[in-house]
Amino acid sequence: MCSMAEYLDESPIQFGQISTIQSSSAISSQESILSPSSLPTSLPFASSQSVPLPFPMSHGTTTLAFMFQGGVLAAADTRSSCSGLVAHLVGTTSGTSADCALWKRILARELRLYQLRHGRRLSTRGAAKLLSHMLHPFKGTELCVAATLCGWDGGEKLSFSGPGLFYVCSDGTRLQGTLFSVGSGSPYAYSILDQGVRWGLTVDEATSIAREAVYRATHRDAYSGNCVDIYHITSNGWTQKANIGEYFGEMW
Amino acid sequence: MTVFDQLSLDGLRFNLTSEKNSAIPLDFFTPPSANSASFCLPNHSTTVRRPFPLSHGTTTLGFIFQGGVIAAADTRASAGGLVACPAVHKITPIHSHLVVTSSGSGADCMLWERILTREIRLYQLRHRRRLSIRGTAKLLSFMLHPFKGTEVCVALTLCGWDKESGPKLIYVCSDGARLQGDIFSVGSGSPYAYGVLDGGLKWSLSKDEAISLAREAVFRATHRDAYSGNNVDLFHITAQGWSQRKREDLKEEYYRDMEKRSKDRRGKIKRE
Repeated sequence: MCSMAEYLDESPIQFGQISTIQSSSAISSQESILSPSSLPTSLPFASSQSVPLPFPMSHGTTTLAFMFQGGVLAAADTRSSCSGLVAHLVGTTSGTSADCALWKRILARELRLYQLRHGRRLSTRGAAKLLSHMLHPFKGTELCVAATLCGWDGGEKLSFSGPGLFYVCSDGTRLQGTLFSVGSGSPYAYSILDQGVRWGLTVDEATSIAREAVYRATHRDAYSGNCVDIYHITSNGWTQKANIGEYFGEMW
Repeated sequence: MTVFDQLSLDGLRFNLTSEKNSAIPLDFFTPPSANSASFCLPNHSTTVRRPFPLSHGTTTLGFIFQGGVIAAADTRASAGGLVACPAVHKITPIHSHLVVTSSGSGADCMLWERILTREIRLYQLRHRRRLSIRGTAKLLSFMLHPFKGTEVCVALTLCGWDKESGPKLIYVCSDGARLQGDIFSVGSGSPYAYGVLDGGLKWSLSKDEAISLAREAVFRATHRDAYSGNNVDLFHITAQGWSQRKREDLKEEYYRDMEKRSKDRRGKIKRE
């Protein structure tokens, strides 16, 4: 597997790039066995022939994130993933779980490499741009990742600081905003969030709104469930709130 | 000449009307079957192409509480990306104690509401009593059944009050589903409405609280769903019958909401 280690060392922009000439020749010559010399060094093997999926990939989840006066709050049901990426960034992901787990690790790795190379942290906006550009070569494939990156940028050198919230998706969308909800349960969460989210919320109020929104979504959406993870991002970094069980909230 | 007095469904035969002299030929209700000579095969090349994609965008909801039944809906009719009509009536009274909210294809819903109203009135004239809500739902479901598998698309929520059994809420759709429940929301905006309703609905709500909850649910759905919008219609059904609230433009509600948020952001008002 020495070719794998080689392309892991490459810079992120080239990672996973599929050149169109190679892919079209690969498709047309499916009968012939590709000799090792014709294999491009950066081409993942899986793209030469598509394998039928054994079962339909599920994209079921509910994640949300919003900005308020106390920072950024991110929440997700535990069927998706919500975890701290680096000290100042939290990412929630939804889509195909395997893709999300991989891309989270890739992004964390790239952010750490940036910090080591340049001596400063990449801003949330920069992290969103980086992830978007890394995902771009896979546009049109079956990759499905939708992430919201929540962070707090600090530092005097940066022209912008404070909380940042970005939504990045594998079809190329990259949006900045103050409120996002992603996943199959997101409509249920959106209406609760639209009702309750205001700039002047306290941390406790924001936590309870986020918990309520995920709970309502898990109640109605079959593909969301289990427990609720809540993360709060401030200038000091992120903290995870208590992992709240599904039956903790008020029943109706 | 053909009188729709017997319907054969896979060996099941039942009489929908017992009168032999129903004046209106009802053979147009029967979907084309393979035996019919005038039937053309369900081949898309011979059917008429639609000029625009049919859309089923709407938000309708209904729920039961201690004060009766509330039915609410938006008023937008969309056809693809076009707002075909911003002021449609999606809630139609059938009789004094029953209203029906419609979603799905607008044309189909209008026709089936008229058919249902006609059948209910005929039943009342023949049997000198009103058909119960459950019976109405069953009748509608059986009338729609022959069209299962065709492109008829109706999803109706019957909201009414029975003299014997009190408030009732039954969902009937052209796929064949017939469900009784305490809370239903139908349409492309329904997930947004469910989020609000599930959070706020309690049996013990007062009438004003229930009305404002229904309005809020429709408003939130119209805010997020592109195919719902414009106004909100609200009906309240009690033992005395249905009453309709004045149609409200949700644009005003939106402006009030935005105003409240921007004031909060500027810190000018204390948070309530």
